[in-house]
Amino acid sequence: MPGDSIIYRLDPRGKFLLTFYFVGIVFLANNVASYAFLLAFVLFAVYLSKINFGFFIKGLQPIFWLILFTVALQLFFTPSNHPIWHWGFLTFSKEGMVIAAYIFIRFVLIIFISTLLTLTTTPIEISDSIESILKPLKKINFPVTQVALMLSIALRFVPLLVDETTKIMDAQRARGVDFGEGGLIKRIKSFVPILIPLFVSSFSIAYDLAIAMESRGYKDGEGRSKYRVLNWSKRDNFMILFMTVLTIILLFLRSY
Amino acid sequence: MEKIISIANLNYTYPDAKQAAINDLSLDIYKNEWISIVGKNGSGKSTLTKLIDGLIEADSGTISVAGQIINEDNIWEARKKIGIIFQNPDHQFVGATVEDDVAFGLENQGMPREQMVKEIDRALELVKMSDFKKRDPQSLSGGQKQRVAIAGVLATKPQIIIMDESTSMLDPDGRKTVLNLVQQLRKEQDLTIISITHDIEETELSQRIVVLNTGKIVKDGKPVEIYDLGTDLRKYGLEEPFSSKLMSTLRDTVKLPEGYLSEEELEQQLWKLHSNM
Amino acid sequence: MEITFEHVTHSYDVNSPTANLGLDDVTLKIKNGLFTAIIGQTGSGKSTLVRHINALLKPTSGTITIGDRVITSDTNNKNLKPLRKQIGMVFQFPESQLFEETVEKDIMFGPMNFGATETEAREAARTVIKLVGLDESYLTQSPFDLSGGQMRRVAIAGVLASDPETIILDEPTAGLDPVGRKEIMSLFKDLQVKGKTIILITHNMDDVANYADAMAVIHRGKLIAQGFPKEVFNNQELLKNDLITLPKSAEFAKGLMQQGFHFDKLPITIDELGTEIKHQLNGD
Ligand SMILES: Nc1ncnc2c1ncn2[C@@H]1O[C@H](COP(=O)(O)OP(=O)(O)OP(=O)(O)O)[C@@H](O)[C@H]1O
Ligand SMILES: Nc1ncnc2c1ncn2[C@@H]1O[C@H](COP(=O)(O)OP(=O)(O)OP(=O)(O)O)[C@@H](O)[C@H]1O
Ligand SMILES: [Mg+2]
Ligand SMILES: [Mg+2]
Repeated sequence: MPGDSIIYRLDPRGKFLLTFYFVGIVFLANNVASYAFLLAFVLFAVYLSKINFGFFIKGLQPIFWLILFTVALQLFFTPSNHPIWHWGFLTFSKEGMVIAAYIFIRFVLIIFISTLLTLTTTPIEISDSIESILKPLKKINFPVTQVALMLSIALRFVPLLVDETTKIMDAQRARGVDFGEGGLIKRIKSFVPILIPLFVSSFSIAYDLAIAMESRGYKDGEGRSKYRVLNWSKRDNFMILFMTVLTIILLFLRSY
Repeated sequence: MEKIISIANLNYTYPDAKQAAINDLSLDIYKNEWISIVGKNGSGKSTLTKLIDGLIEADSGTISVAGQIINEDNIWEARKKIGIIFQNPDHQFVGATVEDDVAFGLENQGMPREQMVKEIDRALELVKMSDFKKRDPQSLSGGQKQRVAIAGVLATKPQIIIMDESTSMLDPDGRKTVLNLVQQLRKEQDLTIISITHDIEETELSQRIVVLNTGKIVKDGKPVEIYDLGTDLRKYGLEEPFSSKLMSTLRDTVKLPEGYLSEEELEQQLWKLHSNM
Repeated sequence: MEITFEHVTHSYDVNSPTANLGLDDVTLKIKNGLFTAIIGQTGSGKSTLVRHINALLKPTSGTITIGDRVITSDTNNKNLKPLRKQIGMVFQFPESQLFEETVEKDIMFGPMNFGATETEAREAARTVIKLVGLDESYLTQSPFDLSGGQMRRVAIAGVLASDPETIILDEPTAGLDPVGRKEIMSLFKDLQVKGKTIILITHNMDDVANYADAMAVIHRGKLIAQGFPKEVFNNQELLKNDLITLPKSAEFAKGLMQQGFHFDKLPITIDELGTEIKHQLNGD
């Protein structure tokens, strides 16, 4: 993944933890000022990454219906003493509108920040980070190396499976299956014939992968050196400091 | 000459298969030799390479690598000496990027990182894939995949390289480059090359050709001896070399010596005939 | 069906920050009923090009016309079945084409999708498996338990079974033994003589010389030459810049030219070369 913005160059461990941390503090926001502040921060981070804004909007698409559903729920089911409009169990009020807006912004914040993580960090970096974060657990005999390796193989296997799915779909398309046709039910149905071949070929991929790994001298993860090294730099310290300041401001705005 | 691989009475049948894939096969391969293994589809070539590397276990027979009969305890030592480039590069990528994949074998050897960086750059340079270092191997074209697979093996500097049709999807120039590269490494670093191929021209680089048929060795000799079989080669799924084919079209009106001639020899002959006109 | 590409550009991964160009402004016509070869270096864009013909890939810009179907960047995935019935494709890696439990089911998949009955499809499987040089006993095997070359043959059989009008072959003979290669190339040639259109991607220049009526050369995503093989292989511009490799016969003829022999145009097949040499030696 090429890219030379400051966000790309941050240590993946820091990025990984800070992303989780940020998702946590999003729930601290409780008023216009605090939400606006967090939104400004995320947009600034997006700007720093130099990635086209369109990719972040795309991140929202897969859960578009979920967002719509949750927002609608808040909009019509928030109880209120001063409803603008009332019908059976449905209420529509100013409070409802405000809460719905907050929920919406919360979604946007979380999706944008995690899209930022996935667009600027490779799966390998993520699994390396997890290994390094878990390292202290080695003292209590937790099999950190093995777990990290399993994780990185799993992370490797997922794109292989995705790739295999595309291949099987292409092979079936080329021989007359139309995946894009018909309603939702029909579309889901047309995916069933992929599942069995996918299941069968995932075994053959796993077998081939195991053979390839063994032939290249992979034994059990002990005694290996690492090509990828994680470098903690001043930049990353600065990020931590920055997040601390951000939290303090947020707490201040919250009680404002 | 020193034997580097010695195979004796090897047998292997795939689970549930009706026929043996390897049938009482014995073969000695010498150090620094370039040996070509040829034969029909399904004759057992790929199976043999997996057996040599201990990736599947023989039903009976023995394999020695560098003087040691391989067993469960020393197989890892043997694997360090052998680098295999598999027939289908698709499922042999372990790394998520090209450089990570080439690094995999080196990481397993426990090579220090600084040295690794150099070796990876060198190997990718050799196969002309440096520009693709950061790419996902799955998103490469067929020939690019084969080049990366080759780099992954070259980087680990094995003593024996087994190439299972690993140039089949390269363009003619690319194929020549890779083969010349391997030849050069063989000479400089005392490597042994086992090359499985369907390309008769590629076998010209080797010192010895072994013909496999239904899991058995049916011919074993110098390239010239094998080429001299003429149309008999077809029995084993092979074709005659270019010069022999050209000679058969010429024979009816042009006087040529009997037996196999290399392209250079044939060229000389034709030049001579032309100047005698 | 005539196939035309007009200013077709394909950029991979337009949806990610790491886009790269697979095809660059290609305009090309593939004539009906001909055997057309597509050549070019590793990574030049050949596979990308042919994947547009049955709409597995859509162009980023430009249009492709196949008979009366037009494919552009906004063509949706509906109703492509009729197109794909007419256009069969053998993929570059045969493993990626096989997905059923048995060889027989795999071969029957195409015909049954295009409306054949089970009996007809089974009948077709029996016929085509022999055409590709395997015997019927392979029908009950799993396609994943075959050797590389056997998988390739099954993949070809699976496409022939639906009897498409146009057959696209992406390096179909890589991995086949020479006898098998010759048989299968002759099979394709026969099909073309009987009226089918064949599009072949290959790195084997002798196959181009022996079987193709027309050829196109792709270089870094661009079409840089097209025409009769004899013309293209005699194109001094391409040869000078090392953009194409010659068939064996032409290479040999070039060697002969160093002493005494003379060829107006380099012969590209063994028969042509043989005739020329005899002519020059015997003066007949
Ligand atoms: N996984 C498997 N399970 C069962 N049988 C297999 C398996 N792999 C290969 N075979 C069979 O074993 C025999 C030898 O296969 P092998 O792959 O060694 O052939 P090959 O000489 O490499 O052929 P090719 O030139 O086509 O690559 C073939 O008949 C094949 O069908
Ligand atoms: N899925 C993909 N994502 C990104 N880039 C790709 C993808 N597939 C191919 N490419 C790139 O597009 C270019 C053309 O690839 P293509 O597969 O069409 O080449 P090709 O001419 O078929 O080569 P070969 O002879 O090696 O098969 C290559 O540089 C390749 O790396
Ligand atoms: Mg094989
Ligand atoms: Mg290709």
